[in-house]
Amino acid sequence: MPLGTLDRTPPPFFKQGATPLHKLIFFACLSILIMFCDVRWQITQPLRSLFSLVLAPIQWVAQQPGQLADRVEVFFQDKGDAQIEASTAKRQLLQQSLHASQVDQLLLENKQLRALLELKARVQTNAQVAQVIYDAADPFTRKVIIDKGAISGIQVSSPVMDEAGIVGQVTRVYPLISEATLIIDKNHSIPVLNNRTGARGVAFGESAGAPLLELRYMAANADIQENDILSTSGVDGVYPAGVPVAKVIKIEKSADSMFARILCEPLGRAQGVRHLMVLDPVGFDLPARPEPEAIKAQTKNGGRS
Amino acid sequence: MIMPRGQQLLLPAKPFFIVMSLFIALLMNMIENVGLLGNAAWMPDFLALVLLFWSVHQPQRVGIGWAFLLGLACDVHQVSFLGQHALAYTVQGFLATLIHRRLLWFSVPSQALQVLPLFAISHAISMVLRMTLSGSLMGWPMVFAPMIEALLWPVVSIILLAPQRRAPDPDENRPL
Repeated sequence: MPLGTLDRTPPPFFKQGATPLHKLIFFACLSILIMFCDVRWQITQPLRSLFSLVLAPIQWVAQQPGQLADRVEVFFQDKGDAQIEASTAKRQLLQQSLHASQVDQLLLENKQLRALLELKARVQTNAQVAQVIYDAADPFTRKVIIDKGAISGIQVSSPVMDEAGIVGQVTRVYPLISEATLIIDKNHSIPVLNNRTGARGVAFGESAGAPLLELRYMAANADIQENDILSTSGVDGVYPAGVPVAKVIKIEKSADSMFARILCEPLGRAQGVRHLMVLDPVGFDLPARPEPEAIKAQTKNGGRS
Repeated sequence: MIMPRGQQLLLPAKPFFIVMSLFIALLMNMIENVGLLGNAAWMPDFLALVLLFWSVHQPQRVGIGWAFLLGLACDVHQVSFLGQHALAYTVQGFLATLIHRRLLWFSVPSQALQVLPLFAISHAISMVLRMTLSGSLMGWPMVFAPMIEALLWPVVSIILLAPQRRAPDPDENRPL
């Protein structure tokens, strides 16, 4: 039997290192500690960035089969489909060119009016296009990973939208990629304005698994109808004002509750979308949030005087 | 070393092959996620499978430390809570070291039956952590994930032991 057939180093008899039980206790405690730091204090971002950089090449390789499939699909696309697509694109372009010419005029008019009213000029936001790499693996969170990160100048809490409306918000930024929470995530809320009535409200992501939004805390007799369009109200300092968000599809009023249950369908395609636009957050010009103590002191003083 | 009767004497495992197989398992998890399948709950976790395989067959080389590190990598990729998969893989690795001496005496199908509880425990830890931290319940299709992993155990056993089953003295008539 030639050399090298068997393991030439026998297992050590005496220097066996830590026992499996000790290792288990150590690593379990370490992972619980990391989890606690992550959930409670959110201080593990450097660790995440480090791992994300190490994983970046593997993720790049993992993207290739999907992109290859896309390319093959495009290659074999029917000529008829392409013609239909081109004609719809042309029609949309015509419609939008009309809008665009109107927008120029309106912007000018708006500028003059605002100058007249001495309002602060409307915040101009920059945008960059990003591609969705994958949906987060957890089936009960609605998050996507996009291919632009801190190196491209993405900031936390940047709004993310597609051509139809708001899609979500950047919640975590890595060097090369970033994570966007969609508006249908159950922990996400977005302040909205009813375009028809001007009533303000807050839309929450639905928790029941359906990709819908719920407009909560609207009184049962509030003026709201199906097919009302909700757009961002801009009070949050994250989303720019006036971008469409959702359409009301169902209103349930029950006698035992003060509030109506209003379900809305997001206008931005929240799932299965490939290209997104990441805007800069608009909140830089907002005044800083007042300290709670300061408010208390003020009310005290107000009470005395 | 005492071995079961009639079992082939294996060549030593190459460390490079072990590392590559772990990275390919991670890559397969990502392809599963990035590709067409999206984020279904029943998808098998290839990384857990390969980790368990090596911690049973090569406990000297792949232990709890590897499981912890790869678990963290998995957490970062899947945007779950940092430490969730790390804890699950750590516990799974520990259970693997407990049973590794006994397990290899059985035939491969009954090995698959015995590693099923390990996969189930690993998924259960992950699920309980997610439930307590974010309050979201997983659907019942999640039950299939450990079963599929256990069904893949024989496949993985054949693939990952193939390089060790080669002839010790390859010649022109027997290149492999």
